Amino acid sequence: MLNFIDARCQLGRRGIVREGEPVTKSDILELMDRCSIEKAIAYHAMAKEGDMKAGNDLLLQETEGDERFIRQWCAMPSTFGEFMGAEELAEQMKKHHVSSIRLFPKTHGYSVKPYAMGKFMDVMAQCHVPVFLTYAECGSEDNLYSLLSSYPEVNFIISDASYRENRKLFPLMEQCKNLLLGTGNFVVHGGVKLICDYFGAERMIFDTGLPMGSATAAVALICYAEISEEEKQLIAHGNIERLLADVKL
Amino acid sequence: MNWEELVFEAKPFDGLLVLDVHGHIGAHRPFQLGAYSAAQVAQTATRMGVDAVCVSSLPSIVSDWKWGNEEVAQACRDFPGLILGYAVPNPYYEDCDIAPYLSMPGFRGIKVHGDMQGSLPLNDPRYFAAYELADKQRLPVLFHAWLPSEVAAATDVAKRYPNATIILGHSGMTARAAAVQAARECDNILIDTAISSTYDNAIEVLVDKVGADRVVYGSDISFFDCIHTMGKIALAKLSDTDKEKIFGLNAKELFRL
Repeated sequence: MLNFIDARCQLGRRGIVREGEPVTKSDILELMDRCSIEKAIAYHAMAKEGDMKAGNDLLLQETEGDERFIRQWCAMPSTFGEFMGAEELAEQMKKHHVSSIRLFPKTHGYSVKPYAMGKFMDVMAQCHVPVFLTYAECGSEDNLYSLLSSYPEVNFIISDASYRENRKLFPLMEQCKNLLLGTGNFVVHGGVKLICDYFGAERMIFDTGLPMGSATAAVALICYAEISEEEKQLIAHGNIERLLADVKL
Repeated sequence: MNWEELVFEAKPFDGLLVLDVHGHIGAHRPFQLGAYSAAQVAQTATRMGVDAVCVSSLPSIVSDWKWGNEEVAQACRDFPGLILGYAVPNPYYEDCDIAPYLSMPGFRGIKVHGDMQGSLPLNDPRYFAAYELADKQRLPVLFHAWLPSEVAAATDVAKRYPNATIILGHSGMTARAAAVQAARECDNILIDTAISSTYDNAIEVLVDKVGADRVVYGSDISFFDCIHTMGKIALAKLSDTDKEKIFGLNAKELFRL
């Protein structure tokens, strides 16, 4: 039986909740148990939606002593001292056992071009910190290409690629070996096998998007994919374990 | 049924009646689909233990209605019993007659998609000839009903043609309040489960509001892989009886199988 590590989970009270949607940490843990998800990389809703620093602090509090959650901070390049500088960010991450960052360039209104990301991404690259963001947060495939090709030594986990993006996504994956695809909402018919056949199973990372995404759907997509058991193990947990083991903070 | 064992050991859904009321075959112009031929859809259905999938042809909706409906007729001949067909009307052609298809083996109903036919409202009179056929023959009509306005049009049609059964495609997930209201107003309305993304517990909420008798499994294959919705229902917090109704028992009656 496959055990999963979920690479995209949000904790905390968020602004908008649809009827019946999981809300609390215990709601999320119940789904993780139901879906054989051993651990989840989690960021905090407040860090995305409200105060980034306060949200990252809340994450530390809510995951204190809890081995089911792997800490992830939301981050952004510091402008006029709004957020901590890249070196300080790396130090704080090390101190608090935070092993990856998540970016929301569209939501937080900044450019992913090198002129805006330069110093920040250089430090993440030196520390081998995996960088997570959704496809839509980049704004366009050209922005995404600019980001990925400017920092080839950084592993970017790009999630939530719509079933409509194949003609844009596939050339990006071909050109940018540092693009790893989050599987959560990649619902293309036979899509998991397609990616494995064209690019290899090491290019996919299991994620759910909990609590707004569906863990039950996400695990089924991997369990039933027409790929080998070894490929499933890589996608379910092996690839993300490898990336996290390589972090040098 | 041990649903967890089924999914986590990737077993086919054998021994359970699974009828997919919402499928497509054929190429699509605006973006690249995954596997979309009738043979590929049939292969996935067989591998997953799906007993039948009722499909329309995407070219029949957006381009040549006759060519596309012939594509479905051929699929029904090639995969008898496994591939069932929806005939698709094109409202812009006065000579568009889908009646001959409805008498062919495998065809079980009608599919309408106003959004991809020039954003035409689905209660436009140009669709009425097709609805009259459905009413006379007591057939299902699968509506693309993503938006509340499309649910409203479908509700209008359901009231005008009470012997037809209207399946609201997508809206149980995308416009749930409108879909629930429509199902409460009209006994001849069912709601399918097709959506590319949603959250856990969404199907449970829908069943709570309209009852499992009114919800039918639809995947929207080949826009999407059927697997994720099957997993979502299989691992939902619903009774075995409710899951069996959604997966196939409700549609068995609908398709007269």
